[in-house]
Amino acid sequence: MLLVPRQLRRAGMTGNVPYYGGRFTPAQAYAASHRSARSHGPVPSVGGTASGAGRAAVPTPGRSVPPAAFPSSTTDTLLALQHLLDAGVVTPEEYRGLRARVTP
Amino acid sequence: MGPVQVLVVGFDRPAFSGEVLAEFTRLQKAGIVRLVDLLLVSRAEDGTLQTMAAPPGVAADLGGLAAELLGRLESEAGGETAAAYADPADVPAWSLADAVPAGSTAAVALIEHMWAGPLNAAIQRAGGSPREETWLAPDDLEALEALIAQREGRTASG
Repeated sequence: MLLVPRQLRRAGMTGNVPYYGGRFTPAQAYAASHRSARSHGPVPSVGGTASGAGRAAVPTPGRSVPPAAFPSSTTDTLLALQHLLDAGVVTPEEYRGLRARVTP
Repeated sequence: MGPVQVLVVGFDRPAFSGEVLAEFTRLQKAGIVRLVDLLLVSRAEDGTLQTMAAPPGVAADLGGLAAELLGRLESEAGGETAAAYADPADVPAWSLADAVPAGSTAAVALIEHMWAGPLNAAIQRAGGSPREETWLAPDDLEALEALIAQREGRTASG
């Protein structure tokens, strides 16, 4: 029988979702700033369905991420930062601070 | 009811020997976890999800609960392949569509952690609130095991 999946809230064992002030969780922020990771290896994700449209696959942050998944140049990093600014994820002040770290 | 975990496990070639269900039975008898339901799904190359028949030897209605909870059953494809009942912009959300790649098969288990209910209650009574909850990655787990072994070695020699 066909199953149309619905979206469910994520929760922890305690039933509460940690609050990140309305911003991305660390994993979501990582995925947003590493959008090119989709083209590196298999990503068990969206597959062109409506529910997944526009949602970045979330790779596991940390040491297990291959170096190839990181932005290849400062330009990529700046573009990702600009995207985060445009999307309202970071404030202009935070953007300037982060930008300064990329281009000292 | 204790916290319920959704565990999605992919299979290249499903082979249901009964070993996993036997382990769940053992864990339930020990009061650790309870398998609330188990749903088998396959995902076609076009992205559509289909429920699969329960393996031989288990109740025929196995998976019905999980299917109702995680999606909407339809007898015929209606063109729609996914539905959003929660706004991912407001809350972290997920769906089976994210977890099961096209062209694969998966088992979706609803697992009640019976041990966690009293622990959660104790945490709440103590005024605790969660800030993070995750599992250690394999390499971090190895690091932890090495640290434990190191300390146990120190204790034994000291």
